[in-house]
Amino acid sequence: MARPALWRVGRPEAGEPRLVHLDRDRRLVEAAQADPARFEALYRKYLAQVYSFAYYELRDHHEAEDATERTFLSALANLGRFEERARPADGAGASTFRVWLFQIARNVVAQRRRSRRRHPEASLEAAANVADPRDVERAVVRRDDLGAAGRALARLPGDRRRALILRFVDEMTTQEIAGILGRSEGAVRVLIHRALRSVARELDDTPR
Amino acid sequence: MTDAPTGSGSRDSQDVDALITDRYLDSLLAAHGRGADTGPVSADALPAFAVRLAADRLARDLPRLHPSFRFEEALAGKLNQAAALMRLPTAAGGQPVGLPPFADAGTSLPVTGGRGDVLDRFRFDGPIEVGRPLLIGGAITSAAISLAGAAYVAWRIRHPGASPMVRAARAVARTRLT
Repeated sequence: MARPALWRVGRPEAGEPRLVHLDRDRRLVEAAQADPARFEALYRKYLAQVYSFAYYELRDHHEAEDATERTFLSALANLGRFEERARPADGAGASTFRVWLFQIARNVVAQRRRSRRRHPEASLEAAANVADPRDVERAVVRRDDLGAAGRALARLPGDRRRALILRFVDEMTTQEIAGILGRSEGAVRVLIHRALRSVARELDDTPR
Repeated sequence: MTDAPTGSGSRDSQDVDALITDRYLDSLLAAHGRGADTGPVSADALPAFAVRLAADRLARDLPRLHPSFRFEEALAGKLNQAAALMRLPTAAGGQPVGLPPFADAGTSLPVTGGRGDVLDRFRFDGPIEVGRPLLIGGAITSAAISLAGAAYVAWRIRHPGASPMVRAARAVARTRLT
């Protein structure tokens, strides 16, 4: 594992310099805070992650795009309010910016879900298209698998579902998910464990 | 291969099971990142078989999605427009400002604190639809290309909108003039 980057900040107190771990996005964030046009680098970096989260949550391509747009515009508009809070426990690859961005995304998506009041039972056809189109048989099998996995995911209650999306689709650490969901790391671990048991039961009942 | 307890017992055992699952997921997702199916996990640190199976399937069947190229570029354009607006006050000699939060987005922004809220220093007459061409006092088109326009936008941003009562009075005055 790469050695954590450290940064000396502030005035030394009682002879001890304060050291904080660098957020892996620090340079990009600082550049964007100095010049908003440079926010584009952060946008390109996290677009697919935010869109995926929105899509799995909303299960509608257009609504996911709309939520993605609102998330990034809101992040840009409020970038001046963001302050890095990386901790040693977050590890060398941590990004408190990503956590902050996904807190915004979570709020946007939650608001959208509340407002539309639509049954969340929709197919993940768009996601199924990622299967290799040259292998029809394999594509059909994968599509079924994806449908079952997607349905199992969709049936989970709010934070269990969100935790699995963030863990499996966005490949976030437990610490990051805890920051986004506003829970302790231990609580998130238990949340994910229980969610997986629910998914296991669901998939077990699914005819294959 | 030994399956770990299923976690139906005490809270402690559930925490332990959850920790084992968490470590397994770390290994699994790291392996996927390398293009491998599974990562190196010792047999005594495996979660229950059913949990493992579910995790493997989710890791395999839930891909990360990407929006269309057209959407990506369109949003990049909108962000650039918004960024240009945020830079205008600086160009006019003021401090950089943030755009106002979106009144209709329903987002309670995460507060990180510390730096003070630049947004609180500025008030707009109403919500700005940043997702569409920005219109401030009907002058944004010229503002985008002229210094006078930039100065106007900077001035407009710095001067809070009138209260509803004052705006109503102005509206009445305009009505009388016409």
